[in-house]
Amino acid sequence: MKNRSWLKKNGWLILLIVGFLIAPFVISKFYITILCEAMVMSLFALSFNLLFGYMGQLSFGQAAFYGLGGYAVAMLMTKLQFNFWLSLVAGVGLASLVGLIVGYFCVRLRGIYFAVLTLAFGQLIFVIIFKWHDFTGGDDGIQGVFPPEYLKSIEAYYYLIFFVFALSTLVLWRLVNSPFGQTLKAMRENSERTEFLGIHIARYQLIAFVIAAAFAGLAGAIWVPFYRSVAPSYLTWIKSGEPVMAAILGGPNVFLGPVLGMFIMTFIHAYILGFTHFWPIIMGTIILIIIFVLPGGILGFAKEKLKEKRDIQNQEQVGRRSG
Amino acid sequence: MKKVSIIILMLFVSSLLVIPMGFAQTKPAPAKKPVSKEPVKIGAIYDFAGPCYMYSETGMHGLRIAVEEINSKGGFLGRPIEVIVRDTEGKVDVAVREVKDLLLREKVNFLIGPCSSGTGLAMQVVHTEYKTIRISAIANTEGQTVDKFSPYFFQVVPNTYMEATAATRYLHKKVPTAKKFCTINPDYEFGRREAAAFTEEIKRLVPDAEILYEAWPKFGEKDFTAFITAIMAKKPDAVHSSLFGGDLVAFTKQAAPYGFFEKIPFIALYDLPVLIALGPDAPEGTFAFARGDFFQDPNPKMMAFVDKFRKARGTYPDGWAVMNYDAVYLLKAGVDKAKTIETEAVVKALEGITIDSLRGTFSIRPLDHMGTVPCYQGTIAKDPAYPFKIWKDITRVPGEQVVRPEASVREIWKKTGVVR
Amino acid sequence: MMSFDVLFNQFLSGIARAALLFLVASGLSLTFGVLRVLNFSHGSLYMLGAFVTYSVWKVLLIPVVGFYIATILASLIMGLIGILIEFFLLRRLYARGWPEQLLATYAIVLIITDIVKWGWGGEFLSIPRPPPFKGAVFLFGFPFPSYNFFVILLGLILVIVLWWLVYKTRLGDIIRAAAHDREMVSALGIPIPWLFTWIFVLGSIIAGLSGAVTAPFGSIALGMDIEIIVECFAVVVIGGMGSLPGTLLGSFIVGQVYAFGIMFKPELALAFIFMVMAAVLIIRPWGIFGRPER
Repeated sequence: MKNRSWLKKNGWLILLIVGFLIAPFVISKFYITILCEAMVMSLFALSFNLLFGYMGQLSFGQAAFYGLGGYAVAMLMTKLQFNFWLSLVAGVGLASLVGLIVGYFCVRLRGIYFAVLTLAFGQLIFVIIFKWHDFTGGDDGIQGVFPPEYLKSIEAYYYLIFFVFALSTLVLWRLVNSPFGQTLKAMRENSERTEFLGIHIARYQLIAFVIAAAFAGLAGAIWVPFYRSVAPSYLTWIKSGEPVMAAILGGPNVFLGPVLGMFIMTFIHAYILGFTHFWPIIMGTIILIIIFVLPGGILGFAKEKLKEKRDIQNQEQVGRRSG
Repeated sequence: MKKVSIIILMLFVSSLLVIPMGFAQTKPAPAKKPVSKEPVKIGAIYDFAGPCYMYSETGMHGLRIAVEEINSKGGFLGRPIEVIVRDTEGKVDVAVREVKDLLLREKVNFLIGPCSSGTGLAMQVVHTEYKTIRISAIANTEGQTVDKFSPYFFQVVPNTYMEATAATRYLHKKVPTAKKFCTINPDYEFGRREAAAFTEEIKRLVPDAEILYEAWPKFGEKDFTAFITAIMAKKPDAVHSSLFGGDLVAFTKQAAPYGFFEKIPFIALYDLPVLIALGPDAPEGTFAFARGDFFQDPNPKMMAFVDKFRKARGTYPDGWAVMNYDAVYLLKAGVDKAKTIETEAVVKALEGITIDSLRGTFSIRPLDHMGTVPCYQGTIAKDPAYPFKIWKDITRVPGEQVVRPEASVREIWKKTGVVR
Repeated sequence: MMSFDVLFNQFLSGIARAALLFLVASGLSLTFGVLRVLNFSHGSLYMLGAFVTYSVWKVLLIPVVGFYIATILASLIMGLIGILIEFFLLRRLYARGWPEQLLATYAIVLIITDIVKWGWGGEFLSIPRPPPFKGAVFLFGFPFPSYNFFVILLGLILVIVLWWLVYKTRLGDIIRAAAHDREMVSALGIPIPWLFTWIFVLGSIIAGLSGAVTAPFGSIALGMDIEIIVECFAVVVIGGMGSLPGTLLGSFIVGQVYAFGIMFKPELALAFIFMVMAAVLIIRPWGIFGRPER
């Protein structure tokens, strides 16, 4: 009985995992590529949403960490012939380290000031990588970043990305539901009160900032060997805007909201570029429609509706009982 | 109310999905066609965003005219050519994904493009992995043929080394006494390579030449005033530049009031679109280089193309259209020689091939697949025949004279690890 | 070492850049100060303003004054578009969080990019400098483009007009009060939505005007919206969001940092701007002349 309800509750998840696992046998290579992109960008968006959805702070410099992770991997692997796995670790390490420095200054600010300071730091890191031609390759970026032979095929790398994505999602899920995540949320709701309770807000937010930077770095690090190259455009504020869009489209207050947003964006983008280069106007329209028609994002809106429905049912039940 | 909005949203999303399906259905299903008539697919991948938009657009016009001509004469080996266009948005990750789309889903036989050197370098790794030929007709970084050589890549646009070397020689010929130089180049792959090639060549021509100052405005800079005053403060004998497009238009207009063009000999990429945009502001007597706008090589073949282009578009063809036209004909020559569209055979056929193009004859150097295409230089001047300024004293430098010597290419390959 | 006149000339070029930045950033600062919306679409209206100016100028083909007429018309058209954006989009979002407002303005950026692509084909265009600002004037024997003087002059006029508007009129009192405490103004019975519309329209007109003025200065091309907006954020943040003297000082700082950066350390000129921006935010988040948000 208990088993059955567990299956009922988590059945969709198992179905999803099985779906992902058998995908390479069912759909074509190109769509596997798109799935990979969607998963990596989702991880990027999840890292952003740890700050945005749970801490209430909008970072406009998240792409800097994504790009730094990618650059670390690309430079270590092409210039020093570093081991692939060690490079991944180094990418995450570099992103977290820079995240610690940037975060130290950023977490003292709130709201729009936080957004603008992360934007300034993000652009600063971008400009340094862009201008430091001799070291980073400047605008041309770095090409020829190949994963080890056994991961060279699209399918093999797909499984790696899926594994990393699933594991990271699980870790983040546990994190936001841990006491740590609850504290973050509490601080978002009422910062004065949590301060009063003796919780050092800045320290908590800094930890969250570094974790977010680490996961963004992981996303970039795992991505670059798949597309074999990295370029400064990975670090611009335009790239930082992508997880913002994904989170608001999918619903920042639902854990998987940014993932849904990113999957929709990636697939529609890949699909639409197939027949027109007027993609921005379509994306712009989609954003406006979601903002106006589905406040709270797709999942946020759905959750709200579901809750309303349940409330009504509960009320009816209560009414019946008392009557 | 809420329900209505959801329905509207669903309608919108489903319309997004249905419209392209309609597109797809208008195409005849390939299965019903006889096998021999199955089209040869060319993937045209360009950067339809920002400053590259215009080059990509005009390039596509040239490409389409060539494809129409060839299709009306039986296509490639009797098979019609189908062009599939993709947009990189000027972003490297989108470029890689769209190339993968062209290779994996559309299964194109050949690629032509892009405009930006950055997207070009990024996609090179991918199409090489999938063993598909790409021809570049706009993006011209030497990195594509030399540092990161790929056996599946060919170039019909003079690369940065050829272009800057030829321009430097022209500048030297015009101002032989100049010893002190400044450079101003857009701060990215293309500008870096042009500046390096200029420095290399000018030191060969003038052993005691001095580079006083190198300015690196960002690509898309709107205000060059601070760069102009910084350069003029150094009092150089001449200035070399690879600024182009909107940047060059802005630079020219901002430098003119300082008397820049009267005081300092200057050479930059004053091609047809820039001359048209500048109109009366184009500085007469200033030196220019470009890649084959119609007036630079008025041979009969080119003039026939001009007529065709003007009929179709109402404007004069610029070098970007010309080079894309040539790219398609290079492919045709390779396919005709190989008698198949099979990649390895076409690569073999293209190596050493000589074609008669809009810019005269050129051949593909077997070593690095660089086309020995001409570079053009001239001096900006009025011409009553046109509503815009063109050039006088035009020099056509055949590619053989300025292409990097094979020994030098091998030297670089030793460093970058290319084995060939 | 470098002589005084060389440095002076570099200083002047920094001033010209500052004037241009001020034209664009003042509109951004104004809307931010009152509406508290970080308006990404400001740069797009600036770009659209430049393209519209070109087309109007091309159609009119009136010698001498053609450009000035085109400038006025383009600014007004941008004002009209501002009304549409405010009335149909932003107004419905004031009750929401600022991230959603920000994303809505970003959506407008995307839409306007494609409208320009579609309408003008992405070609780069140019308007010759209008008389009497074609040549140069001489300052201490150094030439200085007279059009730059025009830009500086326009910047000064805009400063005075905005100063008068903000500090000397009743509307200005309301604007300052609203920037300070929105609830109080609304409690006093002043219709906030009405005020917001007009401020946004004013911001849009300034965006259009600055785009029009840029047209003869440089070139008109796709991508100029993205190019300017981050630099404008830097200006507004350094000076203090919503503060007129702050924007003036911010443009001055960014213009000079860039001009002298180019002269002494060209590869770091851009980085310097973001360093100053980050430093100001760290030390004084509300900017030099701004007031801490309540």
